[in-house]
Amino acid sequence: MIGRVLAARAALGLGVVLAWEVAARARDPLLYIPPSRVLPALARLLLLRSFPLLPEHVWLTLREILVAYALAVGVGLAVGAVLGLRPTLGRVYAPLLGALYAVPSVVWYPSLMLLFGLGAASKIAFGFLLGVYPVVLAVLAGVRQVSRELVTVARAFGAGPGRVFRTVMLPSMLSTLTGGLRAGLALTVVGVIVGEVLGSTAGLGYLITYAYGLLRTADYVALVLVTLAIVLAIDAAAGLAERRARRRWA
Amino acid sequence: MAGPHIVVDGVSKRFETSADAVPALSEVSLAVGRREFCTVIGPSGCGKSTLLAMIGGLVLPDAGQVRIDGQPVEGPDPRRVAMVFQDPALLPWRTALDNVAFGLELRGMSRPERRRIAGDLLGPLGLREFAERYPRELSGGMRQRVAIARALAIDSEIVLMDEPFGALDEQTRLLMGEWLLSIWTRARKTVVFVTHSLQEALLLSTRVVALTARPGRVKSVLEVPLPYPRDLESPGLASLRATLWGEIREESLKTMGR
Repeated sequence: MIGRVLAARAALGLGVVLAWEVAARARDPLLYIPPSRVLPALARLLLLRSFPLLPEHVWLTLREILVAYALAVGVGLAVGAVLGLRPTLGRVYAPLLGALYAVPSVVWYPSLMLLFGLGAASKIAFGFLLGVYPVVLAVLAGVRQVSRELVTVARAFGAGPGRVFRTVMLPSMLSTLTGGLRAGLALTVVGVIVGEVLGSTAGLGYLITYAYGLLRTADYVALVLVTLAIVLAIDAAAGLAERRARRRWA
Repeated sequence: MAGPHIVVDGVSKRFETSADAVPALSEVSLAVGRREFCTVIGPSGCGKSTLLAMIGGLVLPDAGQVRIDGQPVEGPDPRRVAMVFQDPALLPWRTALDNVAFGLELRGMSRPERRRIAGDLLGPLGLREFAERYPRELSGGMRQRVAIARALAIDSEIVLMDEPFGALDEQTRLLMGEWLLSIWTRARKTVVFVTHSLQEALLLSTRVVALTARPGRVKSVLEVPLPYPRDLESPGLASLRATLWGEIREESLKTMGR
């Protein structure tokens, strides 16, 4: 069964690549880069021939993601907890958050560049801005899922605030919370890379704009593939962390 | 120890709502002797549950005091008091066994030890085969038995029960009552049991305390000096039932007239 699923997926992938190759050759091979040109470009990229500084750029992007995500999680959990556990504050401020969330975040980016400059800080700020909302909203939704009866039982059996949080609130919120944390991570990655694409001097997004701007389209596609692989790896790591958390707390 | 086990001494409680403060209990006093099965009965909204929560230390009185063994209650004290609620309130991500062990875990007992104690409790409660089931896989009656086992596991001298069978159908409710009596006669704990069922009160208790409509005050205290198991059709119980219904009826009418 699994073999057939994999075979079907491979067939689809092969079909797409073939169609891509045929279509690209039929049109302009410079603009519609065929796979047969991407593969050598990818090899040159990974062998550090086309962009010898690739590791530094990737490492910078990863660090930006890491810092932005740490901020998004820390601030998101704190803000969510305060708004969720203080109903009055929640009623006053939570609707504002929802309204801000509805604004396409990319409109904030120019002001972030003005505030934080062209370097890593503006990318971190943009990744944070995108990533923090899902975390806050997940905590707000999660707090509402906690049953008052369970909290009362835990208190009756001698749990203080810390134990109530650990034994009742955290497990009750877990699936909502992990969902928000993963969505936040995905959006942080988007924010950092989009930030680099829109204006920067270093990082994966910068390399992509650079290659694209010089019409080195094969290199550009190879860089996109590397970005894709990194994003998939980050998501896989997040999935692993989520399964561990579930085993540990629920 | 001499003296009553639980003393409720002139306790009052108001609840703040957005509009005003609603008095829930007004100067309630009662004493519960050691190993007594005391039922608190009254019309809905009379503050029975609030009274129980105050004995359990979950709610603090605005005036007056609750004392257990002569010491004022200032917060939940699971070493002395265990509680069962109308909603079984089991942790849905834990098996029946781990739910029963919850109180022992909060007490800091090691996992093998608390699971052994919890396991020993499940057998007599007819739940042995269900130890590793999750709450959603159990019937309502079983869930409430798990909740009662969780209260018994911490082996406190006092068990407070807030309409524990309120959500069950009548047959299950009668059987659960019989089952609870057999436990109580063996374990000899002090029980304070809140209900709105006359029948349940008369079948189970050594004493029935009737509260008035809101704000709750003690309307009357009725001793039930009959041996167990009791028969609802017996003349003694029938006359007690008539007396109690007289008290409750008046208060329930007030509630309905509001």
